[in-house]
Parts: sequence; structure tokens; C-alpha cells
Amino acid sequence: MSSAADRDRCAISGIGATEFSSDSGRSALSLATEAALAAIADAGLTSVDVDGIVRCDLDAVAHNDLAEALGLPDLTYWGTSGPGGAAPGGMIGQAVGAIRSGQANAVLAFRALNGRSGARFGQAGSGPGSGAGSGGGRRVGGGGKYDEFFAPYGLVAPGHLFSLLARRHMIEFGTTEEHLGHIALACRARANANPAAQMRDRSLTMEEYLGARMISSPLRLFDYCLETDGACAVVVTSRERAGDGPHPPALIRAVAQSAGPEPQVGFLYPTLMRKSLTTQTSKSLAETLYRRAGLGPDDVDVAQFYDCFTITVLLQLEDYGFCAKGEGGPFAASGAIDKGGSLPINTSGGHLSEGYLHGLNHVVEGVRQIRGTSTSQVPGAEVCLVTSALPVTTSGLILRRP
Amino acid sequence: MSQPPGRLRPETDDHDTGGFFAAAAREELAVCACAACGAVLHLPRAYCARCGSWDTVWRTVAGRGRLYSWTTVEHQVHRSFPVPYTIVLVELDDAPEARLVGYLPGRPELTAGMAMRVWFEPVDDEGTLLPQWIPEPETEGA
Repeated sequence: MSSAADRDRCAISGIGATEFSSDSGRSALSLATEAALAAIADAGLTSVDVDGIVRCDLDAVAHNDLAEALGLPDLTYWGTSGPGGAAPGGMIGQAVGAIRSGQANAVLAFRALNGRSGARFGQAGSGPGSGAGSGGGRRVGGGGKYDEFFAPYGLVAPGHLFSLLARRHMIEFGTTEEHLGHIALACRARANANPAAQMRDRSLTMEEYLGARMISSPLRLFDYCLETDGACAVVVTSRERAGDGPHPPALIRAVAQSAGPEPQVGFLYPTLMRKSLTTQTSKSLAETLYRRAGLGPDDVDVAQFYDCFTITVLLQLEDYGFCAKGEGGPFAASGAIDKGGSLPINTSGGHLSEGYLHGLNHVVEGVRQIRGTSTSQVPGAEVCLVTSALPVTTSGLILRRP
Repeated sequence: MSQPPGRLRPETDDHDTGGFFAAAAREELAVCACAACGAVLHLPRAYCARCGSWDTVWRTVAGRGRLYSWTTVEHQVHRSFPVPYTIVLVELDDAPEARLVGYLPGRPELTAGMAMRVWFEPVDDEGTLLPQWIPEPETEGA
């Protein structure tokens, strides 16, 4: 995906998802298998057609696990992307690369997790300390992890990091809690229209948003995304092969990954050392993605922004060029991101209100917008931006109607 | 400044970061820097990408900085850190390229850019000292 010659040559032809719940009662492999079978059938294919699998580095399911579960006759390509939520754009990029180079014909990209009933974020090091007799607890960090600079101070969950980013954005630009609230409300309203969303039956007002308990200031309960059990999967093929399927193909206009000019060591918390905390890897990603696509923010009809927290969306509204740096708050409050606005976002409800599938549900919803089948369909949507996690690295893609 | 027992302690003998904690054990604040071109290499690492040198030094810096950002944690996620507590991010006066994190109990009144001062907190009886940050007291008679 490095030149104009690669534009629109591959497509997402199948999408699948399980129920999103707080307690699946099933293994991650069982969830992955169900989502994969749904995506394969949706593409008009059968399991024997699949010869590639790409996965997220944090997934409990390995490529061979899923290949065995699906009964694939011969997996000839597999790959892993990440870290974590930065995976989806990279996964699609690997699928496109495999197809364009002849290493695979139909590549399955999936994410499965028991994110609520299984392992949860922020629990690392919660077990019994190994420092008995020393008057201290467990030692953390070392070995290139760099956690020794963060965890001993109670900086132990992604939400703590994003709270520091949100506070900094408020300091530099006067962003308010209400600004962030508009992002939470937009995602919730879209979820209320989506029968598959975890928050489909729970409305949210600004009064309720501001009245919710603080989790880590300035972020409140509804600035945090959900924790979800479930799985999503998509099938990537050549444009020609996708054209044989039962649904209009969602053409992959361009894919990009970016680690930005200051990649940083370790994982997550070291990004607090970047010169700016309010311009993120999404800025450099956007430049590459738009250049590869031959498109710009004015061409985007609808966007699925990675939304682990509300501030994550606000930063991306600016970094992807939909408003000036510092104007993300007023832009969100203007109604631009709502249904009928200039840039409707997260039309399934996103991580904040549909479910936390680590960015792959954003890809699935992007395909629905291109097909015209979203529960919050943007009339005439032809170009959809789909983004993956920041700040460590990030990735993204642009989908287009044929 | 009491915290519950069993709290997390930093690994202090890492090849690249151990010098930071060795300095802290002497109640000194030090940042890793390139011996050839002077670039601050924080977080600490062995190679200077700016000039290509493998020669690094631990540069002692003043234990003063400015509050860059903070968050007060109200929802407990870790057994070692009962809420509320506040995480501060401090930009060093002597090396603005470097930021360090600190822990404050409760919900202190904080303002962006306020002066912060380092202190060294014992976190075990093996001599491990953890650099911590508190707001600089108002100048007397000012």
C-alpha cells in the first residue's frame, strides 16, 4: 500500500461479529470461531477458501488455533500486528500485502477477547508481592519495560495516561469537560439505534454525563470505554474476488501505520515523554494515509475513530485535520460529529457505547457504512475513515464505495 | 506521605536505567545524557541517535521542575494504591526534555506550571529511594 497503484485493489468482502456482552461464558477461541464463520459466510466463501489469518498481538487466540478450529486445509500466510488496539489498520495492511504479493487469496482478520469476564486492564502486579522481608512490595520494570518510572507511582492503567493527556489539552487549549461530554453523548446516541450495542437501551444526557462519578480526573465514568466479551472478524480479498460475493465490496483505498517522530521506548506510559502530549501519532499517520489515498479530510463522509476514551477521539479530530489543533472541543460541541453533522462519527456506538473490540468493530462498522447497512447510516456515504489506537503507535484505513 | 505496605518498587539494576536509581539512592536526581553531544537521553538508553555515540553519562540535575499535567485517581484498580491519590507529571527545570512522574496522596490543590520540588522516599529497607515531587512551598514573606 505504498503507491496510487495499490488504491482500491483489495476489499473487505465479509464481516462478522458475536454478541457483545459482559460475560460470554465461552472461550476466546469459541468467540473467534463464531465471528470468523460469520465473516466467511458473509463474503460468500467457505472455510476452505481462507488461506491467510492476521491477528492482534494481545489476542489469546493464535493463528493456528483459529485455523484448526475452522478446519482450514492449508494456511499459507499469517501475521500479527499491534501493539494492542493499534493493530486493526496494520492487520488490514498485512492482509492487503499478502494478497498483492500472491501469498494469500482470502485473509481473515479477527479480534476476540473476554475483556470483562477475563483479564482486565490495570491489574498487573496486583498479585502477592515478591518483596517479602524487604519491607517493600514487588519490583516492577527493568528488562526494557521502563515500568520502573511509572508503576511505583500508581500510574498503572491506560485511563491514567489518557487523563494526563486530557488535562494537558485543557491546560493548553481551554478544553472543557462538556466538550468531552459531547463525544460520549454522540457515541451513546448511535448505540441507542444499534440493537447489537451493549448500551442500546441506555440513553445519556449531558446532565447525567457531568453527574457521573469521577474515575481519574478529568475523566468520568462515561469518558471511559466499555469492557466487553466478544469477537469481530473481516475477510479481505482482491477487488475482483470480492466482486463475486453477495455484498458490495468495501474497497480498501489506503492503509497506513505510524510510530511518529518520537516512537519512545517501552509501552504506553513512556509516550508521556513526547515533546507534545496533544499532537499524537495520529498526526503523522493521517499525513501518510491521506497521501496514499489521494484524499483529504474534506473527502471523508463518515469516520469510525478509535475511542478507548473520549479524549482519544478529540485528539484525532484535530490530528486528522477535521478542525485546527486545539479546536477539537468546540468542533465536537458544534454538532459536527452527530448524525446529520458534517462528520458523523462512531455510527455503531464505538468502544464507548457499542463494545470494546480493540478497534476491529470500527472496521466492521466502516464496511456497513460503505454497504449502506449501518443502523445510523450516513446517506450517500462513499468514503469512511477507520482509525486504530494511539498513542504508542497507530494505524488506520480508508474504505470506499466501488 | 504514608502508603500501604506491599506497594510496587522500581527495578533498580537494569542495564540502561539503573544509574537513575543509583543516583536516587544517594538522594540525587540524575538524567542520562550523551557524553559526546550532550543530548538528554530520557528515558535512559545506551545509544545517542542524534550523534551516534555510545558514550553516556549520568548528569546530576536540580530537583526542581514545573507541573506539566496531573490526574486524581478516584477509582481503585490496583491493591497497592487506595484512592484517592494524585499522579503528577513534572517537567525538569534543568532538562525540559525529561519528565518524571510522582505520587501525591489525596486530592491536592494543583495548578498548571506550579513549581515542584523533589524528595526521596524510602520504599523498602534495602535502601531503595524513589524520587517524589511535592509543590514548592510559597516563599516566606512574599
